[in-house]
Amino acid sequence: MLGYAQPHMPQGTGMNRQSLLPSFLPSRRAWHMIARCVTALVGGYAAAAGIASLGARLLPIARVEATLWGMILSFLILASFGLWAFHERSLLKVALVIWGSALLSAGLTIAIGSRP
Amino acid sequence: MSKAASDEKGLRQSMAWIHTWLGLLAGWILFAMFLTGTASYFRPEITRWMQPELHLAPVAPRQAAETAVAHMQATSPDDLQWYIYLPDDRTPETRIFAMPKPDAEAKAPRKRRAEINLDPATGEPLNARETRGGEHFYRFHFQLQLPHPWGRWLAGLCAIFMLTAIISGVITHKRIFVDFFTLRWNKGQRSWLDAHNVSAVLALPFHAMITYTGLITLFVMYMPWPIAANYPKPAAFYTDAYGTEPDGKALGKAVPLQPIGPLVDAASREWQGGRPRTIVIRNPNDAAATVTILRSGAERLNARGESITYSGATGAKLTQSAPPGPALTTAGVMLGLHLGNFAGPVLRWTYFLLGLTGTAMVGTGLLLWTAKRRKPGARPFFGFRLVERLNIATIACLPAGMAAFLLSNRLIPAGLEGRAELEVKAMFWTWFGMAALALLRPVRRAWVEALALSAAAFAALPLVNMATTDRGLFASIAGGDWLFLSFDGAMIAIAALLGFGAWRAGQVKTAPASKRRTPRPTAMPAVAPAREAADVA
Repeated sequence: MLGYAQPHMPQGTGMNRQSLLPSFLPSRRAWHMIARCVTALVGGYAAAAGIASLGARLLPIARVEATLWGMILSFLILASFGLWAFHERSLLKVALVIWGSALLSAGLTIAIGSRP
Repeated sequence: MSKAASDEKGLRQSMAWIHTWLGLLAGWILFAMFLTGTASYFRPEITRWMQPELHLAPVAPRQAAETAVAHMQATSPDDLQWYIYLPDDRTPETRIFAMPKPDAEAKAPRKRRAEINLDPATGEPLNARETRGGEHFYRFHFQLQLPHPWGRWLAGLCAIFMLTAIISGVITHKRIFVDFFTLRWNKGQRSWLDAHNVSAVLALPFHAMITYTGLITLFVMYMPWPIAANYPKPAAFYTDAYGTEPDGKALGKAVPLQPIGPLVDAASREWQGGRPRTIVIRNPNDAAATVTILRSGAERLNARGESITYSGATGAKLTQSAPPGPALTTAGVMLGLHLGNFAGPVLRWTYFLLGLTGTAMVGTGLLLWTAKRRKPGARPFFGFRLVERLNIATIACLPAGMAAFLLSNRLIPAGLEGRAELEVKAMFWTWFGMAALALLRPVRRAWVEALALSAAAFAALPLVNMATTDRGLFASIAGGDWLFLSFDGAMIAIAALLGFGAWRAGQVKTAPASKRRTPRPTAMPAVAPAREAADVA
C-alpha cells in the first residue's frame, strides 16, 4: 500500500496506527511520510544537481555560460520536484522518478566526464 | 464532477497542504531573515548611526586610494595581498585589510589581518567606537549567527522552502486577484487569511524575486555540481566567471609599487567615468606586483562589476574582464536585484517597505496557522501551544532584540574593550530572554506585553540617542542632518507600528472566529468544502 500516505486525502478513511506496534513507534503511515519528505528534499536536491550538471555539460555553448545556466535554473528544478513529490499519490512513483532521475543524470554526467 | 475539475481540486488541495506545512516549518527563521534582511537595505546607514562621533566629508576615490596605500606602505609593506574598499556616497570611510605572507615554518593556515577603517582624507585609522554596525543584521540575515557553514545552509534550506511555499501558495489561491481587494477586519481567522493574502499578492513579484535571487547569492555554495561537471579545476571557473586572478608568485625582486592615483584614474576612464570601488594589490613592491581595480556595483543593476588588472611594477594594463555573456549577466543582475545597491533613496525605501510586506506575509501566515486551529473552550494540543509560543517569541520579541542592539550601542561605554560583541549579545539576550519570560504569561497578555515592550524599546531610541550624543532629534533638524533625522523618524514609525500591534492584540475577541466547523487539529487538512479547504489553508 504505497499509495497510503496521501497528503491531500481527507483523514479518517482508515486508522493509521497499527495495533501490533508499540505506540511510541512511528506508524506505517508516518514512515511513508518520512520517506516522502526525504525523497522530496534529499532526492529532489540530488535530481536537481544531476539534471543541472548534465544540462551544463551538454549545452553546446561556452562552458562558463552553460555552467551558470545550470546553477541558476537548478533551484527551479528542485522546487518543482519538491512540490510534485507531495502532489503525486503513489510514493513508489515519486521515489522511482526522483531517485531515478538523480541516479540517471548523475551517472550520465560522470560517465561523460568533465569538459576537456 | 468532471475529471478535469477533480484533478484541479486535487492539485489545489495538495498544494494547500504543502504550503501550510512548509510555511510553518520554515516560518520562524524566514520571519527573522526577512526582518533583518529588510533592515540591511540600510546597512551603511545603520553603521553610520552606530558611530555618531564620526563626521567625514566625502572624498574622491583617487585621494582615498592614495591615502590608503600610503598607510599600508607605512604599516605592512611586505604583505602578500592588500585589500582596499574605497568610500562611496553611502559609506564615508575607507576599509582595508591585508593578508600577510605565509609563515614558512609555522603550518598554521593563513589568517588575514584585522580590518581597519581609515579616514579617507588623511589615511589615519579612525578613532570611533567599536561596533559591528549594520553588518550585524546583514550577516545574521543569511548566517543566522551559526558557525560556518551551517548558518548559510540553514538559510538556503529556508529559502528553498520559501520558494516552494510561494509556488504552492499561488496554485492554491485561485482567486488571487479578486481576494487582493478584500480585507475584512475583526473577523478572526478570515482577517488573518485576508491579511496574509493581501501582503502576499500585493508584493508577489517582489517575494518571488527576492527569494530566488537570495538563493542565487550563494549558488556557488548551494549548487557547485555544474561547475564540477564542466571544470576539472574549479579555480578555472572563477577565472572565467569573475575574472579572479590566480595568485601569482612573487619574484623576490624589489620594485617600488607604481603610484595608485593614475591607475585609479585610468580604470575610471576605461569605464567612461565609472567609479572604482575595490582595489586588490598582490605582492606589493615586488617585480610581479599586480593591481586589480573593481568597479562599483552601485551604479548599475548588474552587481558583478568589471575589473581591470595593472602591473604594479610598470603600471601597464595586464588584463581586463571580458564582456559577460547572457548567463553571467543574468546572475549578476539577480545578485544586484537582491542586494539593491543600485537603488537610489526612493527605490531604497520602496525595497524597505516591500521587505516589511514580506515580513508581514510570513508573520500573518504563522498567525493564520493558529487562528485556523483554535478551538474555543478546548485545551489546545501540544503542537498548537508550541506554535503559539514560537510565534510570540519570533514576531513580538525579535524586534525588541534588534532595538536592544541599537540601544546598547548608545549605552555601552564607547571605549570599552570588546563592546562590539556585547552589542550582539544584547540583541540575543533580549530576544531569547523576553521569549522565555513570555512563557510565564498567558498567551494574550504575552502578545500585548511583548509587543508593547518592543514598541517602547524603539520609542526609547531617539531619546537615548539625544541624551548620549550631540546628534539628537533637535540638533538634526537644526543642522539638516538627514541621516540622523530619518533614523529617528523611522524608529518612531516602527514604535508606532508595534504599539498599534500591541493595542490590536489587546482588542481581539475570544469568541469563535466563525460559525463554520472548526478544523480538527490534525496534520491533514480537515474535511471541508473543496474551495474552503484550498483557500483557507
